[in-house]
Amino acid sequence: VNSDGKPTKFQPPPKPVIIDKRRPQEERRFLSPEFIPPRGRTNPLKYYMERKDMIQRRKVFNIPEFYVGSILAVTTADPYASDKVNRFVGICIQRGGKGLGATFVLRNVIEGQGVEICYEMYSPRIQAIEVLKLEKRLDDNLMYLRDALPEYSTFDVNMKPVSHLDHEEVPVNKLQVRMKPKPWSKRWERPQFNIKGIKFELPEEKMKAAQKWSKPWLEFDMMREYDTSKIEEKIWKEVSEALRK
Amino acid sequence: MMPLWTKSGKRHAVTLLKVEDCHVLKYISKEELGGKKAKLLVGGKNVSPFYKSESNTKLFREAGVPYKQKVTTFDVTDDALLKPGTPLYAAHFRPGQYVDVTAKTIGKGFQGVMKRWGFKGQPASHGQTKTHRRPGAISTNKAAKVYRGKKMPGKMGNIYRTSLGLKVWRINTKHNIIYVNGCVPGHTNCLVKVRDSKLPTYKDCNKNPPFPTFFADGDEELPEDLYDEEVFQFTEPSVTY
Repeated sequence: VNSDGKPTKFQPPPKPVIIDKRRPQEERRFLSPEFIPPRGRTNPLKYYMERKDMIQRRKVFNIPEFYVGSILAVTTADPYASDKVNRFVGICIQRGGKGLGATFVLRNVIEGQGVEICYEMYSPRIQAIEVLKLEKRLDDNLMYLRDALPEYSTFDVNMKPVSHLDHEEVPVNKLQVRMKPKPWSKRWERPQFNIKGIKFELPEEKMKAAQKWSKPWLEFDMMREYDTSKIEEKIWKEVSEALRK
Repeated sequence: MMPLWTKSGKRHAVTLLKVEDCHVLKYISKEELGGKKAKLLVGGKNVSPFYKSESNTKLFREAGVPYKQKVTTFDVTDDALLKPGTPLYAAHFRPGQYVDVTAKTIGKGFQGVMKRWGFKGQPASHGQTKTHRRPGAISTNKAAKVYRGKKMPGKMGNIYRTSLGLKVWRINTKHNIIYVNGCVPGHTNCLVKVRDSKLPTYKDCNKNPPFPTFFADGDEELPEDLYDEEVFQFTEPSVTY
């Protein structure tokens, strides 16, 4: 009998999940987001030419798999540095651009000063990209780290790479970040940003008032749907075959 | 548009232009024109003849070439004449050369004076009655008339404009694509006229052009991609200083 006093409903036993560990599990696929062409009226030949150049660059220079929230170390060629190379360690807060102009922004706090550097993935000046810690976060865009407490953006410049096995799933860090007092650079509590990684310590009325700007019809808008599954399949085949050669 | 890096690490923005089924249509000698230079009519993209007017059908039939969407004229010297019906390819241009690109600009429709001519308009507040984007005065008292060509609202865009002195960085001979520096007038996938630059600084920039044009059935075997010497090719390792 339940604590409510009502008789408990019969729960059937859960079905057993059988994981066959003898065969090698399906390989985890990762297609870098800049390969997927945006919706538009451009000739697909343009994206094909760009992809050829991108594959060519990836054959010579290794661009590892990483997500927003992973910690990277990038060494670039710098004519004005004493060693002619410049190494920067930071957390990836944003991945933007499509094709050859794809970029990623790394953030770190060095001696109390927050520094963000936007690198172009296919620029020939980049000598090496190492992934020190491969992980995902709850959001696709971590721009709110600018308004979070600095401890969440500080990473040791000499940190050792954390090992990650190839076949394991990418760990999701469910960290909820604490913010500096308002005003922030953007009103992150508003539903348009859809941020899950902030521990909002605002009063209930403020959170409810922010929901006034919600647009619940957007998820049902059919014109905004862009189904990339078929395009991704084709491009994944093309890219993996070309890189295997 | 695409980025392109040079060997020194500098980044340039590049427009891709595809040469689609270009054929020479007609030769008009300089005697007929009464001028100094002869003209060659060149036709662009292939289209279906059923949706176009019949005035040009005779021209295409005589050249033995499918119906083209656009016909342009090029001024040529007597030694660079071509037989009507010869196809033209992207390899006609070489990397390191400078070109002028002409196209119809994006049409913006009927626009006011602030967008069309860049007038400053009037302030948004402080007593302005119904006047925020108007031209203001259009002439002086003494003139007692409005001069011809006064900048006023009207249809903006959809006119031919030329970008001069654009460098050719790379040519793809397999797909007939020219990589041209900077931006080019016109919307995406619009028809564009590419011509050797007439600017005096680039008069002698083309050292060894394919003269009179590049013939695909000739002896010359070109590699798939032709690059300018300064272009960073992705087969090379990263740039160091």
